[in-house]
Amino acid sequence: MRESDNGVRHGAVRAGTGSTLSRDIVAFTRRNSRSYNRARTSFGEVFADIYTSVLAFGCLAAIAVSFVLAMRDEVAGQDPTQGGLLPGNSFQLPSSVLWALLTYAALTGILTVSRRLGPIAVTGAQGTWWLPLPLDRTPMVRPTFLRRMIWVGVGSVLGYFAFSLVTALNLSATGHALAAGTFGAASVGVLGIAAMLQLSVRNPRSLRALSALVLVPLALLPGFAPDPWAFALALLAAVGMVVVVFRRAGQVRGSELIRGGAVSGHAGASVFFLDTNELMRSLAGEPRPMAANRAAALYAMPARSPHLGLVKADVAAFLRLQPPLTVPALWLVACLALMLADVGLSVPVQLAFVVIAGCVVASGMGTVARRTALLPELDAMLPLSPAQVRASRMLMPAVALGLWMTVLSGAVVLLGRGGLPLILVGALAGVGMGAGTVRGASRPAADWTVPPVDTPFGPVPRTQLSALLRGLDVTIAAMLPLLLALYIGQATTLILLMQAVVTGVVILVVLYSRPTAAGQR
Amino acid sequence: MTEMGALLEADQLLVGYGGAPVCGAVSVSVQAGEILGVVGVNGAGKSTVVQTIAGRQPALGGEARISGIAVDRDAVHFRRQVAAVFDDDLFFPSLSVAEHLLLVARGHSLEYPEESVRAELDFFGLTDRAAAVPDALSSGQRRRLLLAAGFIRPASLLILDEPEQRLDPVMRDSLAERITAHAAAGGAAVLVTHDPSLLVRTATSCLLIKDEVELVTADQGAAYIAGI
Repeated sequence: MRESDNGVRHGAVRAGTGSTLSRDIVAFTRRNSRSYNRARTSFGEVFADIYTSVLAFGCLAAIAVSFVLAMRDEVAGQDPTQGGLLPGNSFQLPSSVLWALLTYAALTGILTVSRRLGPIAVTGAQGTWWLPLPLDRTPMVRPTFLRRMIWVGVGSVLGYFAFSLVTALNLSATGHALAAGTFGAASVGVLGIAAMLQLSVRNPRSLRALSALVLVPLALLPGFAPDPWAFALALLAAVGMVVVVFRRAGQVRGSELIRGGAVSGHAGASVFFLDTNELMRSLAGEPRPMAANRAAALYAMPARSPHLGLVKADVAAFLRLQPPLTVPALWLVACLALMLADVGLSVPVQLAFVVIAGCVVASGMGTVARRTALLPELDAMLPLSPAQVRASRMLMPAVALGLWMTVLSGAVVLLGRGGLPLILVGALAGVGMGAGTVRGASRPAADWTVPPVDTPFGPVPRTQLSALLRGLDVTIAAMLPLLLALYIGQATTLILLMQAVVTGVVILVVLYSRPTAAGQR
Repeated sequence: MTEMGALLEADQLLVGYGGAPVCGAVSVSVQAGEILGVVGVNGAGKSTVVQTIAGRQPALGGEARISGIAVDRDAVHFRRQVAAVFDDDLFFPSLSVAEHLLLVARGHSLEYPEESVRAELDFFGLTDRAAAVPDALSSGQRRRLLLAAGFIRPASLLILDEPEQRLDPVMRDSLAERITAHAAAGGAAVLVTHDPSLLVRTATSCLLIKDEVELVTADQGAAYIAGI
């Protein structure tokens, strides 16, 4: 490419009109960016990047494969009617129903996340320099959407193949492949549904409800494997959606394209830095207008002390900013469904699922704590000690998680396990998890420049692990007595006492822990 | 109330966030050849007004029209008519200064894009930095690049949000001449500014943004900025 003195590469963009010119502009940007980057990248850097990527992917693949095979052996070796957290329970959920529910939940997750990320989106630079041009925007947005479809499709196929290996023991390799292909096609179709939602200007509730309904048949299709018609049907739905969306991709409003790109960039950076707090912030979305005036009467009441004033503010902020209860409710149902299903998962696996559910729900309750953690100076301006501030911030997550755990443990008690004290143990565990939420919200960014520490088991990245697990440590510790009660099937007085002590200790730890290296609480 | 031939008309335009207006309703008409200054104290809502006129955020009430057609940033007609320069510090990290401008020139189908790019680089004093990527520029040079991108393309209405920011006095003078030349060539401009000198040199009228929005002369607007 010829370059003049003033840096203009002649002939880089051909003259044209409408879509042709738009395609040329996109190609021009890509080509020149690529040539700039290539001119400044050495062979050694490329080799190192490829080498580390392949190595990391290989390690991840090996871990994933061994985990899936171990899980498959675990399920294959269990008697579906024996064991589990609720042994001998008269009501059992057929495993096929559980797998369909999980598939539906996965598709709902893809729909929700892809809608947050766009799925049709442009980066900030593209929004500033491409969108104001009086050209057809379709060629500007199609490539990114296509890449996303490929990633979602491939990821879904791989993920469901592993899922199918564990849950459908009687299927052949072809059957697993067909099931995975069906789910992959369904996922691409869901991405198309998300794009259609993006095309509608107002995105009304009825349209979202219709989308949730459309996911039902899509979630059932993989269960029909190895019948090829299910795969054909899913593929047809995916192709249909893709064709419709590809035709109309350029009609998505510019503000929506920029919003999707901003969320995608924020979420991508969070994943790159393994910062779950930032990831939650990026995907949180706008506060719901209907929640904007919640607790207005409480907030308007005069406060008798600064601490009570802060408590009122934290309560109001929690009620206004907290996302809908759908996610905690879904995790609750998933925990109970897994306990009731005739799958034959062992007690440790079921307990592990309860721990994961608890950590995810606890993390979701930290919206206010995460937002305020961004500006610790604001809290420092109050005539209150850091412990008083943390106590105020902990209140609502502790109440909400206490309620969540009460419902979970209450359901277990209703199903004939644990005895009434289990409900109290659950409630206390939830309060402790609330403390973990506040601790996790002020998690510092992991410092990857600190070298790992040599141990008898090899080098361990202690500093990074300590940063990444901050908050989760307390949440899991708060759940341990409850897990013990679920394991032995009875909440004894000793366990109740143990739970009270553990909850008290984790609250004190969170209240009086020293500031982190990042300067955050 | 609308007027024939107005490039910009705002009728009881209410702007703000989350349903709450940040200032009084705006009613104004800007004809070809006119430059409307927009002044007010910090937080008065100046940028919100022009962001709404530029279609970057929805109006809470009333309406704004460009050449008689309702503001819609996604309409090709609107994109062709309106050039808006805000303080967006967003660039393609691997495209040079000249390539950014060439992209805009080609995207607007200029007849001689390379020559236009050279002319803008020269006017905004970026010729020596033409091959540099945005990260290698100073904040003032990046501001010049944004302004060059706003001026290189044809537009009937030019919207400038505090264009004097981070510019040296010489460049401010050149900018004032350029804005005036745009109006003299049959265009119109909306100029948000905190610079009394720039306002007096360019504006034909001025919107004073506060709880009750007033249309005043450029001199009165400049006096308001200067606190006189």
